Amino acid sequence: MSPETSASSSAVINDPIGLHARPAVKLTKLAKSFSSDIEIRPETAEKWANAKSPNAVMKLRAANGETLHIRANGDDAQTSVRALVDLINKNFDG
Amino acid sequence: MTDNVSLVIVSHSGDVARGAADMVREMVGEEINVAHCGGNADGGLGTDVAAIMAAIKSVYTQKGVAILVDLGGAETNSEMAIEMLPDGFADHIVICNAPIVEGAVMAGTEAAGGSSLTAVQETAEETSL
Amino acid sequence: MTQEFIKKIIEASAATIAEHAEELTDLDRAIGDGDHGINMKRGFTEILNISDDISALPFGKALAKAGMTLVMKIGGASGPLFGSFLMAAAKAVDDVPSNRDEMLKLLDGGIEAVKMRGKSDVGAKTMLDVLAPVSDALRAADADLINVARKAAAEALENTRDMLATKGRASFLGERSIGHIDPGARSVVLLINAVCDVLETA
Repeated sequence: MSPETSASSSAVINDPIGLHARPAVKLTKLAKSFSSDIEIRPETAEKWANAKSPNAVMKLRAANGETLHIRANGDDAQTSVRALVDLINKNFDG
Repeated sequence: MTDNVSLVIVSHSGDVARGAADMVREMVGEEINVAHCGGNADGGLGTDVAAIMAAIKSVYTQKGVAILVDLGGAETNSEMAIEMLPDGFADHIVICNAPIVEGAVMAGTEAAGGSSLTAVQETAEETSL
Repeated sequence: MTQEFIKKIIEASAATIAEHAEELTDLDRAIGDGDHGINMKRGFTEILNISDDISALPFGKALAKAGMTLVMKIGGASGPLFGSFLMAAAKAVDDVPSNRDEMLKLLDGGIEAVKMRGKSDVGAKTMLDVLAPVSDALRAADADLINVARKAAAEALENTRDMLATKGRASFLGERSIGHIDPGARSVVLLINAVCDVLETA
């Protein structure tokens, strides 16, 4: 199996109060389960944030309906991006 | 049991301590052990060195224990409790300079990923920047 | 002899703290969180409860046990502060001080421990602002040590009134902490007077 090296995707946040504390914790925890470097950026933000940093993710304050961009670098880049998109599409339920 | 850093929440109020611990368990999950204590020996507001020692021991792991405190006496009593534990414990215990609830959730999230005690403390303390 | 002395000190200390618990709480309500009196009373009542056990110990060990009891029972920052004072004093002396130098050794050992535990120093409107001046006054005195200690303690306490609190709960009040004497310092004065009372009747 060849290393996946890099991947990116995006998903739309569908939660009345946006990326609030509980989803942020879930996203961070999921990101931490992968070895790749993973970053996220809400459509309206300029800078990418470390998806494994609970503080950084919480500070994004991404709103409901906003697109969240995800990019990853590392051996499990594709798997990790797919998993994060999946989490957002499931409305962080699970 | 898990091999993640554990948390101990020390508040003047037993209700606050329990509530903060519940938030960590619910938001972060069962991957980390969280102990809590609050109130003095008579059940009023305050902190109790013996109870803090017991809370630390109940979740102690060589991986580390991060303590979250609310006001002054909780910190002083936690420092006292750490010193009174058996030799060697103190090397694996830190008190985080962070707000108790936010710090606990952040520390818990960091710890759940298997991070080191230093990383857990840093993440908790970032909340007070 | 020592046994009886320890017991008298315990009884006098517990009595004065119980008698002034309300006053201490009122002082603490002005600049802290209003639990100093009840916390101190809880700690000293427990020491009184086990005074037979404590007074059966050699003087140094009795100090250590009393200190540990305060640490475990007070329930506020005063527990580790007053407790650490006694536990450090216990390391400084084995027997009842029989002269001024030994007394200063006890006092200064305790003062250093309070500074470390509270991460504080003289001038921050705390118990140290009575302990340190009393130590200084005893060091400078030639005779009549009991009255020197009482007088230095009373003056030092009054001096805390105009100090700005920079440590502990009172520091949250900033300038508003000025104008009130410090409750922890008041407790130290009560305890110094209790010890002096026992020494005078000995």
